[in-house]
Amino acid sequence: MKSIPHKRSREVEAWLKREITEQKARYRKIVAEQDALAPRRDKWVAEFLQRIQTRGTHVHFNTMRKVGPEEIPVRPKRKFRVVF
Amino acid sequence: MARPHIEPFVDRDVSFRKFTMPGFPKGMQYKMLSLDPDNGACTMTVMFEPGYRQPPGMSYSEYELFIMTGSITVGDKVHGPGSYFMVPAGVTIGAMSSPRGATGLLFYNYGEPSFIESDSDHPQAERHKFSMVNAYDDMQWASTNFFPATAPGCLVKVLHFDERTQAFTFLYCMTPNFWQDNISYHDCAEEAYHIWGTSWMMQFGDLPTGGYFYRPPYINHGAFGCKLGTLAIGRTDSRLYNHFHFNPWTNIEENKERAASRVQHWMPDLYKWINTHGHNHPVDFEFGHGHAHGDVPHHHGNGMVEHTHKKRRRRRK
Repeated sequence: MKSIPHKRSREVEAWLKREITEQKARYRKIVAEQDALAPRRDKWVAEFLQRIQTRGTHVHFNTMRKVGPEEIPVRPKRKFRVVF
Repeated sequence: MARPHIEPFVDRDVSFRKFTMPGFPKGMQYKMLSLDPDNGACTMTVMFEPGYRQPPGMSYSEYELFIMTGSITVGDKVHGPGSYFMVPAGVTIGAMSSPRGATGLLFYNYGEPSFIESDSDHPQAERHKFSMVNAYDDMQWASTNFFPATAPGCLVKVLHFDERTQAFTFLYCMTPNFWQDNISYHDCAEEAYHIWGTSWMMQFGDLPTGGYFYRPPYINHGAFGCKLGTLAIGRTDSRLYNHFHFNPWTNIEENKERAASRVQHWMPDLYKWINTHGHNHPVDFEFGHGHAHGDVPHHHGNGMVEHTHKKRRRRRK
């Protein structure tokens, strides 16, 4: 039993409504901040794709393998989203 | 709709405010970290003001409390930093106070915060599932025992494990100069809060002290790095499996598709049975029939998961 069925009061409903509205605004702010981070993220991704060809990518714990140039994924044309 | 993807969010950027939810005593403040718009489940940073007092009582939802600073007193026992409580729905805890104040994290996992003054458990309470531990003093760090595992230098203390869903709550730390060069996603939702320290992820940048995320399933995160070390608390809503890869640009659908394909290859017989069995809500003989609790999505061979069942009339004898 994770939750016991009960009826919510009006005050509780109002509190939830207010929090949901604020969360929507918080989410929009996060998306905008993450969009602004895109140029730096592109640089981090380029460095990552370089590192996994030289030092390797983690497969399990301390087991790593080097990724061949032919395995490097091609960036799709769609927008690079990180927040969903 | 479940909780949205909140990542990253730093609670140091916002102020505490008074917690005015009906039923709760005065003297508690909070910062909302994430909230499920449907059932009200939420995670909050909380502050108990010096002199806070709460009578014995229970919640309609299971909740977890982790003390970060200061202390609270429950009954006659003082619980300082690192104290962790897992309180099942309907289980009453004794009178609580915080003479000098405290801060902590409150996780209401299946419903909105509620407090009902009571000296005894609710009839549906599962008291045997209550647990309490001091994670700093009573437990030691261990390597993760998942396969495939995170890179060396990420250590955990498991605070709570749900035997049915395999959801778990854990402290984790990253040692100084920790790094892991892959991208991960999971079949479960996960959330985490940085008690101390800054770590870095390729998608989101730095997450400092007070940093938080709630991440729904199948969202890419990593590569990872941490220069000076990090102490954090995390929680999943079901079993955590590390789906590792190195494609930075995959989306949720592609990751989910890959996870399903992997299940098809790892458990071919089970996968086939789930896909072809007409009435596909598997029964766990340890936990009973899914329909009885209405907690298992299923269909009747037609793919229609959204449906209701008519109540059966009892035959008179």
